[in-house]
Amino acid sequence: MLINEGAMQRNRRIRRLGQVGLRLNPIFAYFFLWAPILVLVLFSFNSSRSVASFTGFTLKWYGNILNNMMGAESAFSTELMLNAFRNSLFVGTVATAISTVLGTMIALAMARGRFPGKGLIDGLLFLPVVIPEITQAISLAIFFKVAFDWFALMSGERVFPGFHTIIAAHVTFNISYVAIVVRARLANMNPRLEEAANDLGANPWRAFWRVTFPLILPGVISGALLAFTLSLDDFVITFFTSGVGTTTLPVFVYGLLKLTVTPEVNAISTIMMVLSTLLIGISLALQGRSASRL
Amino acid sequence: MSTYDVELKDIVKVFESGGARVRAVDRVSVEIEDGEFFALLGPSGCGKTTTLRLIAGFEQPTSGHILIRGRAMEGIPAYHRPVNTVFQDYALFPHLTVEQNIMFGLQMEGVDKKEARKRALEALEQVRLPGVGERMPHHLSGGQQQRVALARALVKQPAVLLLDEPLGALDLKLRKNMQFELKALQRDVGITFIYVTHDQEEAITMADRIAVMNEGLMLQVGTPKEIYEHPQTHFVADFIGETNFIPGALLQRGGDGFGQVKLADGTVIRAQLSHALDSAAKAVTVAVRPERIGIAAPSDRPAQEIDGLTALDAVLAGSQYIGTDTRYTLALGDEIELVARLQNVNNIDSAAFQAGQRVKVYWDESSTTVLDQ
Repeated sequence: MLINEGAMQRNRRIRRLGQVGLRLNPIFAYFFLWAPILVLVLFSFNSSRSVASFTGFTLKWYGNILNNMMGAESAFSTELMLNAFRNSLFVGTVATAISTVLGTMIALAMARGRFPGKGLIDGLLFLPVVIPEITQAISLAIFFKVAFDWFALMSGERVFPGFHTIIAAHVTFNISYVAIVVRARLANMNPRLEEAANDLGANPWRAFWRVTFPLILPGVISGALLAFTLSLDDFVITFFTSGVGTTTLPVFVYGLLKLTVTPEVNAISTIMMVLSTLLIGISLALQGRSASRL
Repeated sequence: MSTYDVELKDIVKVFESGGARVRAVDRVSVEIEDGEFFALLGPSGCGKTTTLRLIAGFEQPTSGHILIRGRAMEGIPAYHRPVNTVFQDYALFPHLTVEQNIMFGLQMEGVDKKEARKRALEALEQVRLPGVGERMPHHLSGGQQQRVALARALVKQPAVLLLDEPLGALDLKLRKNMQFELKALQRDVGITFIYVTHDQEEAITMADRIAVMNEGLMLQVGTPKEIYEHPQTHFVADFIGETNFIPGALLQRGGDGFGQVKLADGTVIRAQLSHALDSAAKAVTVAVRPERIGIAAPSDRPAQEIDGLTALDAVLAGSQYIGTDTRYTLALGDEIELVARLQNVNNIDSAAFQAGQRVKVYWDESSTTVLDQ
């Protein structure tokens, strides 16, 4: 018994150590996840231009951006940045609109349709989500080059990359995300509801707009917000498919970094992060809302 | 013009899944009259729901013809057929109020909003669920949702109402009440009901006629009484109620629809032949309902001499008191076991026979059916 008591005490100590370790583990995990972002946010409020030390709280950099946007005198020229932001919004809006329509249509075909090779097409849909972004970026760049060369050969007209290539590239990866989100919504929807609509005299067109569409709308909006966010944030694919005068905000920020890290960049990044988080938050809320009712 | 509301002519429906071909509905032909309460009865997977879906237009038959009010339904989509469906899970539109759910079908017909609303409220009255028009379906109980589904279909005044196990999701007590209500409602509105169920009791108590289905085949169509009293196949006899199956050899067929059957112990009895009996059948089964079998003391001689009565010697193996009835197990020789149910009319009856006692069992010849083995 005496020997056992010593062993038990040791065991108890090990167990307590394990418990402490388990509690610390998520703290470390979250620290690694969030510390860089926290530093960024922190330094966007740093009164010193240098990132070497935090010398005091200021809203100066945000003020600079705002002043310049309003056309007032400011130490920071935001003309290029605003232009880049406008480009981002334009690309995001158009790419989202196209990919939402196409992605929703694909989701409908996958959930309701019966056709040969459905399993394969279904699997291919997930490809843009899993393949490395850089692979997709390079493949798109090569594809556009080959396509434009061939077009030039056939018609004699030269086409250059620009908004159309960026938008096309964004649509390619956004479709998958939209389709996946909408499909999840459709999978939760009782297929009898469409039959019930038909049964009550609605042709497929009216059944879609009166029953199916209202029920999947939260999924569609959620998919669109996700697509818009991805489009807004995208750097790699945009970088490889952009042309002259089509700099989007992430590409612009990257360009700034090559010169010097100005505090305004921190401020812009923080604004972008807040905006993205907000959009994703709305998207998630829509996906969760009233899913139980279907 | 046909006098039937719904006619199925040689309907076959084949489903292909993973290379396997399944005949969900196999050469089904039936005529359903105007205003009839017609039940499709069978175990799950027997093809009854597929038959209903074929009539509704959600599925197309592989071959055969469907006529509704004499009109061929080939190429006519569900939304142009004069039928409406009450789905098993009700399938109420979750994003619309109860009232909007009921108005949906009318608006598809082009009825204006005011008129549609008026008729929706009337329909809610009809299913005895007034005052819930503004509610959302998921705020209603299962029984209430069921009524809304009924109102939504009835408001269209269809030629035929198709009901797919509408009471399946309700608890027993509610189900019993709804059976009466549905039957009364059907009499009121005079619409033909085609009612799918796997509950034999439900079918017997509600339907004017029942079609029993198994493995895609429609085995027998008849009134509840015909189906219960004179099942034409082994499956029907077994599926509906409790039945004794006595194996035997068919010796002779009489012109009067009766035949001589030799039982395993050598006794020969007279029994009524099933219409569906194979004309070459030798090995057969005699079906007798337990409540049609009487038990008497062995000394009860006169019982044997009554015309049309079959009386056999048996040993009482055991008895089981089940409230209204007592259930007796009887042994005829070594090979045949019978179950008899006697109503407990008074206290003396249930105590009249003891286990191990020699008795006479008897039944009327017309209570028997000779079936294929």
